[in-house]
Amino acid sequence: MTRTNDIILRTTTTLIAFILLGFSIYLFFAGHNKPGGGFIGGLMTSAAFVLMYMAYGFRSLQKILPINFRFVIPVGLIIAVATGIGSFIFGEPFLSQTFAYFQLPVLGKTELATALLFDLGVYLTVIGVTMTIILTIANDRGEER
Amino acid sequence: MSNLAALPIILPLLAGIVVAFIHKKTKIVRILSQVISVVNLIAVAWVFLQVQQNGSIILETGGWAAPYGIILVGDLLSMTLVLTTNIIAVACVFFAPQSLSKHQEEYYFYSFFFLLVAGVSGAFLTGDLFNLFVFFEVLLMASYGLIVLGNGKVQLRESIKYVLINLFSSMLFVTTIAFLYSVVGTVNMAQIAVRVQEVEQQGILTTIGILFFFVFATKAAVFPLYYWLPRPYISPNPVVSALFGALLTKVGIYSILRTFTLMFNQDVQLTHTLFIYLAALTMLFGVIGALSTHNVKLIIAYNIIPAVGFMLMGIGIFSEVSISGTIYYLVHDMIIKGALFLLVGALVYVAGTSDLRKMGGLIHHHPVLGWMFFMASLVLAGIPPFSGFIGKLLLLRGGLAQDELMIVIVALISSLLILFSMIRIFIRGFWGEKTENPYPERKRKAAKMAWPVAILLSFSVLLGVGAEWFYPTIQSIAEYLMDPQIYIDSVLKE
Amino acid sequence: MEQILDVTQSLIEYTTLICITGVAASVIILLYRAIKGPTNPDRAVALDIIGINLMALAGLIAILLVTTKFNDVILLIGILLFIGTVALAKFLEKGVIIERDMD
Repeated sequence: MTRTNDIILRTTTTLIAFILLGFSIYLFFAGHNKPGGGFIGGLMTSAAFVLMYMAYGFRSLQKILPINFRFVIPVGLIIAVATGIGSFIFGEPFLSQTFAYFQLPVLGKTELATALLFDLGVYLTVIGVTMTIILTIANDRGEER
Repeated sequence: MSNLAALPIILPLLAGIVVAFIHKKTKIVRILSQVISVVNLIAVAWVFLQVQQNGSIILETGGWAAPYGIILVGDLLSMTLVLTTNIIAVACVFFAPQSLSKHQEEYYFYSFFFLLVAGVSGAFLTGDLFNLFVFFEVLLMASYGLIVLGNGKVQLRESIKYVLINLFSSMLFVTTIAFLYSVVGTVNMAQIAVRVQEVEQQGILTTIGILFFFVFATKAAVFPLYYWLPRPYISPNPVVSALFGALLTKVGIYSILRTFTLMFNQDVQLTHTLFIYLAALTMLFGVIGALSTHNVKLIIAYNIIPAVGFMLMGIGIFSEVSISGTIYYLVHDMIIKGALFLLVGALVYVAGTSDLRKMGGLIHHHPVLGWMFFMASLVLAGIPPFSGFIGKLLLLRGGLAQDELMIVIVALISSLLILFSMIRIFIRGFWGEKTENPYPERKRKAAKMAWPVAILLSFSVLLGVGAEWFYPTIQSIAEYLMDPQIYIDSVLKE
Repeated sequence: MEQILDVTQSLIEYTTLICITGVAASVIILLYRAIKGPTNPDRAVALDIIGINLMALAGLIAILLVTTKFNDVILLIGILLFIGTVALAKFLEKGVIIERDMD
């Protein structure tokens, strides 16, 4: 019996992981006034990560992406809460948001809203939680064998 | 200044996040959490005084006006309960280093702890039914984390039960909110209270009300739905048990109190009569459970259930006196249940066993612990002049005024049986022949465990002895609850 | 002219409705296979096709409601489905989804 290999999976992963990351960024920015947002964008990003983990294994991915996902959760939470508290400084009610139009070099006239920062917090938290759960379950099984 | 209403949620939330960053440095985390929880208690007490003087604080988050945006309502009832929650939190955070292992402390105990406090405070403060669900989820998420902390085998088995029952009731909660939304078209509590009076088919509202009662009764452990409660509550660490016993069931009772005074008060004849019968059964079955076992922790856990019965009885009788009795009992029970769970944790620690038949004579070695337990049993059973007595007195007076003799008799019998079950622990565990101290080296740590409990007990005694001082506040809350129009006007600002 | 337009309008609607019924029925049948499925590969294939049918359903509903809002959803289901299928296939082949160390 020949040894199985993942040549197809690995080749497609290089391509598809990038499509997924691009789609996740699209969803993240679409969230302001269309379906999408930090939650689903974070899920997509972690889907890309999971795909890479499946194709390349735990150890080599730890070298490529040396992120402790458990650490990402509080970082995301503190960004989200900080944007809520930020409105205290301006004497506005909790979680108030504001937006303004800016002239950016490449994108032209762009709307930037503080709600985006809150979404960034959600995005990071979702990535952290999802990856922590998946990797914990996967690792547990690896040790049993 | 309306941002004050969010303070009791934000402070613990921030603390939990900060603590999660440095979770490995146990000593710093310990001191930091103790400092933050004391600061939080002071802040909440200050907000409470503000509310008492100037009336409810209403925060429209994000500047969205009341029926459309999410609002937080810091009225006197909410702030009283948040204040009590924080008193218990302070006691627990000082008790925690003595009873948790280093591993458990490292594994995000303090983060989950602060998240739980934030969730409970949020559930008390919110003025939006869907937001109530969200805060229920926050506190449940934290409690899932706490209940598996230390991952013993029994603990995992019990936590699966706990998670399943809570998932089921959360699912039902969302579905019920959807039903209500389809009838009245809003999830803002004040606006629901306005719209329910305009709905033509009152029958469907009663049905939805009963569904809500079912959801909250699962959390609060009312008669047919209490079966899941005792064992998951005793399997984790004593600190976690104290937090669960003191806070979680009370959130359920608070929700019943809020929804059934504000929104579902059309068919009082049906719903509230149902409450009275269920309250009677809850008391009886809870006490029977407490008498049926020799496990000290289990006796205390079963004692949660009759207390829930007492509080439900006040809501069922539905008069101003009885509602004020319920509120008094709610505050008293939160404090004393926290104290009792911590005390029993210390007792099990010094005795090395939770089986009553294997203990005895501990009072010779740990006199402070023993007498504190004796006092706590008197408080729980409602012996004057302690706080349990005032709450029960108000409830019974309310019951007699409405000619609900049956419930009054059941309540009296079950208080007697509660006293019996508590004194049994005292006589079997502490009293008796002087025996060899099984663990002499544990004496110092036990003394350290005693003083957070002493704080809680002194609050409880204060609540009883200083009843004259507290009663006007409680009475004004009851008046406020009996007239939903005040709440509606303060939120909708019409 | 008007009449022809009306006919095509209703034609699209009826076709979509018929297609939705067909796809929904096949989901139910596939569900049976996914639960019963004598072997694990049967279940894997059934779950895969349920996902494809879900995408089809979302597309058909988008036609029925004349909206483009569902396009993201369809893409999303497709991606999650792909990862799910890869994970299932890998589990059936090797018994592990994420290996600690590969070659």
